[in-house]
Amino acid sequence: MSPAVHPVTLEVVRNALYAIAEEMSIVLMRSARSPLLKEAGDLSSALTDAGGRLIAQGRDIPIHMGVMAFTVKEFLKRVPADRLRDGDVWFANLPEMGGNHLPDVKAIRPVFASGRLVAFAINLAHWADIGGAVPGSYVPWATESYQEGVRISPVRLFSADGPDREKLDFLLANLRGRDEREGDMFAQFAANDVAARRLAELCDRYGADTLAACFDALHAASEAGMRAAIRALPDGVWEGEDWLDDDGVDDRPLRIRVRVEKRGDEATFDFTGTAPQARGPVNTTYFIACSSVYYAMKTLAAPDVPPNDGCYRPLRVVVPPGTLLSADPDRPVVGGNHETSQRVVDAIFRALAPALPDRVTASGPTTSGVLIFGTRAADGRWAIFYEVHGGGEGAAAARDGASAIRVHMSNVMNTPVEVIEAEYPLRVEEHALRPGSAGDGTHRGGLGFVRAYRVLAREATLTSMLDRRVVPPWGLMGGHDGLPFRITVNPGTPGARDFGGKASGKLVHGDLVRIETCGGGGYGPPAGRPEDARAHDRREGYA
Amino acid sequence: MRGLAALLGAETPPASLAHGTTIVTNAIVEGRGAVVGLVTTRGFRDVLEIGRQSRLHLYDLASPPKLAPLVPRRLRLEVSERIGPDGAIAAPLALDEVGGLIETLAREGVESVAVCLLHSYANPDHERTLRAALASRFAHVSVSSDINAEFREYERTSTTVLNAAVMPLACRYIDDLAQALGLETTGAPLHLLHAAGGMMSVEAAKARPLALAASGPAAGVAAAAHVSHALGLDRTLAFDMGGTTTDVCLIAGGAAETSAQRRLGGYPVRMPMAAVESIGAGGGSIAYADPAGALRVGPRSAGAAPGPACYSLGGAEPTVTDANLLLGYLNGERVYGGSIRLDRERAAAALAPLGRRLGLSTLETAAGVVEVANAAMLRALRLVSVQRGYDLRDFALIAYGGAGPVHAGALARAAGIGRVVVPVHSGAFSALGCLVSPLRYDAVRTYRARLDAWDPKPMEERYRDLEEQCVAPLRDEGIAHERIVLERSADLRYSGQNYELEVEWRSTPEALRTAFEARHRQLYGYATGEGIECVNLRVVARVPDVAVELPSRAPADAREPSGEQRAWFVDAGEVTLRRHDRAALPPGRVVDGPALIEDEWSTTLVYPGQRCAADRLGNLLIESGA
Repeated sequence: MSPAVHPVTLEVVRNALYAIAEEMSIVLMRSARSPLLKEAGDLSSALTDAGGRLIAQGRDIPIHMGVMAFTVKEFLKRVPADRLRDGDVWFANLPEMGGNHLPDVKAIRPVFASGRLVAFAINLAHWADIGGAVPGSYVPWATESYQEGVRISPVRLFSADGPDREKLDFLLANLRGRDEREGDMFAQFAANDVAARRLAELCDRYGADTLAACFDALHAASEAGMRAAIRALPDGVWEGEDWLDDDGVDDRPLRIRVRVEKRGDEATFDFTGTAPQARGPVNTTYFIACSSVYYAMKTLAAPDVPPNDGCYRPLRVVVPPGTLLSADPDRPVVGGNHETSQRVVDAIFRALAPALPDRVTASGPTTSGVLIFGTRAADGRWAIFYEVHGGGEGAAAARDGASAIRVHMSNVMNTPVEVIEAEYPLRVEEHALRPGSAGDGTHRGGLGFVRAYRVLAREATLTSMLDRRVVPPWGLMGGHDGLPFRITVNPGTPGARDFGGKASGKLVHGDLVRIETCGGGGYGPPAGRPEDARAHDRREGYA
Repeated sequence: MRGLAALLGAETPPASLAHGTTIVTNAIVEGRGAVVGLVTTRGFRDVLEIGRQSRLHLYDLASPPKLAPLVPRRLRLEVSERIGPDGAIAAPLALDEVGGLIETLAREGVESVAVCLLHSYANPDHERTLRAALASRFAHVSVSSDINAEFREYERTSTTVLNAAVMPLACRYIDDLAQALGLETTGAPLHLLHAAGGMMSVEAAKARPLALAASGPAAGVAAAAHVSHALGLDRTLAFDMGGTTTDVCLIAGGAAETSAQRRLGGYPVRMPMAAVESIGAGGGSIAYADPAGALRVGPRSAGAAPGPACYSLGGAEPTVTDANLLLGYLNGERVYGGSIRLDRERAAAALAPLGRRLGLSTLETAAGVVEVANAAMLRALRLVSVQRGYDLRDFALIAYGGAGPVHAGALARAAGIGRVVVPVHSGAFSALGCLVSPLRYDAVRTYRARLDAWDPKPMEERYRDLEEQCVAPLRDEGIAHERIVLERSADLRYSGQNYELEVEWRSTPEALRTAFEARHRQLYGYATGEGIECVNLRVVARVPDVAVELPSRAPADAREPSGEQRAWFVDAGEVTLRRHDRAALPPGRVVDGPALIEDEWSTTLVYPGQRCAADRLGNLLIESGA
């Protein structure tokens, strides 16, 4: 237990820390270049203490946050604190170093007060390209990490003297869309810079020791909150599993299996029985498995406990070596970040459904539904359009699922049609709900949606990286499954063809790509659905 | 209302009438809009329901993750047509579909119709054709190229639909008001206050009633801008602390900052609105100890009922007002609001248990509550200033609202702000805002162009169009052109960014680049040599010379100082505090802190080491000692 902090100081500091983390996200989002950051918000920011323990987070995406609880700690194993200098900003993206996948680049800034390391500011941004075999760096047929892009081990790109031009240029030389990427780096630098200035002001006012004591108090409070939340759950052992469609290379489903054991105020999540590491890019890391566990526990048991290092302490995650969730560093991982992580949540929800029937939801669009169109502009420059597609949320015991939405580990927005058409050689011909896609039930799932893209460029590459195309979102307690994803090129024509969920191919001018996203699973037997709810669905054309 | 009518019938009727109303805000918050039908481009009727596909809460499965669509699906109809991002017509409007569409909407009992077609900001022709056709059948039609000619279809649709939803209600209200006042016979023009802190004509308000939303906070900010101008202060922060919330807004160069997008009732709205940041901390905010052992304040509030414990109306939880009373920052002997006498014993009884939980004395607890509340307000002040690239120390604080003048002195000191103004009439500040707001019209249109491929001619044409839009209503009420101030600005960004910075217009691309990069550096700390593009053009037309001269005041005849009481400050400990009657203070007379200055609406606290003096108009000016 830390030395007692004055209750007023603790509150004022807490308030300031959250304000700083929020301001980082605002700066990053507003000044970044990658479409994903600027329009869709695929970014996160956080502060940690001098030991890399997460203290406060700004705008976040669950998949980023859980992983960032590890990033600085892992960074310090490679770059000892005595090598850090005031003004440094280090960049890295290695999955095995508390990373997600290669496009998610972290910028880490040590913060000093009177020569002493007191904290870190860290932010993460998804770059639209990180090099590798195809534009957008999603390589569905990759069998090695090296095909997926540049692996950035910790490198100091900024110091007190400014940007390190040679290193910056070395990195940029390996990426498509050099100007955009440079803009992203500066945006990440700017976000950390703001945080460093604000933290220094806090240190000036309260002193580094008081600040450190506040960090400890916040950790202790979250740990106590999480323990209390776990204690309130029934003791027991539950098992659950779910399946990924395939890995993009071998065409067979892959199992995620979890055994949850809850005793007193602690819980263990054991993933023994999960499929061995895959040849294709759905592998991921222990950190992502933890991230999914944290998300599930926070959502099901402790939504009000402020997420920081402390609330993760009562949770134990066991992953045997050589599985999908503990793959070797040279295995491809790009889809593992947002596909496998979501399936881990599905498996946990399924395991805990008998214990917490009033809290879980049926499955939904537990995939990022990624489509990437790569085209070259007239001047030869790459224009890469990356889009995520949500679907219908799974129903819960007390309500229908929401339509056209993102669930669980991600919450990245869509790109407006008017932005797509102004900036890329594409025309969107339809953006509509997908009636009939929801799983029936006492409460029905949400509806998926349809988007149709017409290619206006001479040619384009299309890459898909999504799941829930074969294994549909499941219903619960007698509720029906939702319809799975479907991607069709030139539907309704003699040349119509199904485009796979982890595929890559060439398109030519005039081709139409139609994506139909999954509906959510239903909850409870359909016979229990009230007639007025059915009449409403018919009247509004949802059925 | 009868009083107003009598005033209008008097021998010297008022030259004009200014009115602010909350009916639009309330209708939106309470979901009491009209039955709206929506017409969109074929294939896109679900844009309104799909939205941006993100959920409201990250970790909460119990609450619905999305708001219900503003228009039910069966009332969202499609028409065949297509316009490209450059305004070129890719498919003509299918006129033969329009009749059936109107029939369907009429059959469904639609009262107000919204039209939002893809890329209509680039070419409004199809929307205008539909508007003409729909107007033959519906009294209320809102088309998106009129309401918000900016790209991003979901936000534009949402804005247009909300306008349509409040239109019948607002038009009825305005008509009734004009009739009750007999304006047609007296000829006194009526103006309504809008969200950007300006006044608009009845006709403009009926066409764009959504602009009446959020005009309440804008009124106070407009009054603060007026006071700033009158005192010759270039940069000020409006600080309005009430019972449950505190509103702050930055004022620079005499005008309140506006923001182009906010949420109303949870739905996105794009129109210029005074950039008021609102936080859930006010005099009634409840203090408690959290599991970490921190003292926290709000957002839960005791409100007006039961109110703070010291009101003796049944409240038992400690609030900021209780803390202020216990510390001697309010007058315990006065009667507030005609009937409420503040009870120090009850304040102490409410704070003591909290202190015991935190291991603090009751007085320390009270001081802590005030400090934590001030920290939350300081965060709001930083949000509107430091985060927008300004230095707080360059500002003066304009404090109003019931609790604002009690906290302003401490807040200013903590923020490094040198001067606090407690304006005269602070209790009727919104009404003053209506009186002093300029006539103001705003217009915006998306126009995409790269600075390195600059063609001034189309740009100039579009600016002329926007200026005409803004000037027309002013000309209609006979305002001479030389009284109108026109301002042009442009939303610029580095190619590839999607958040734009609004920059004052310059006529050459070089000058625009310089202005943009200076602003970018100010906000984000860096600028690069990348290409820059223009996204939106904006025009504001103002008639600033409404010029209401506030009268000088002679000090009232009253005992001075009027009394004294004990007070407790963290730095100074327990001290004696003199009380002054504000009305009795002669201009220029310096009051040294600690002191309380009271008027019928509020109490101003001058902290130890601070000095205060009233000016000729009755404004109190405090040197904060920061």
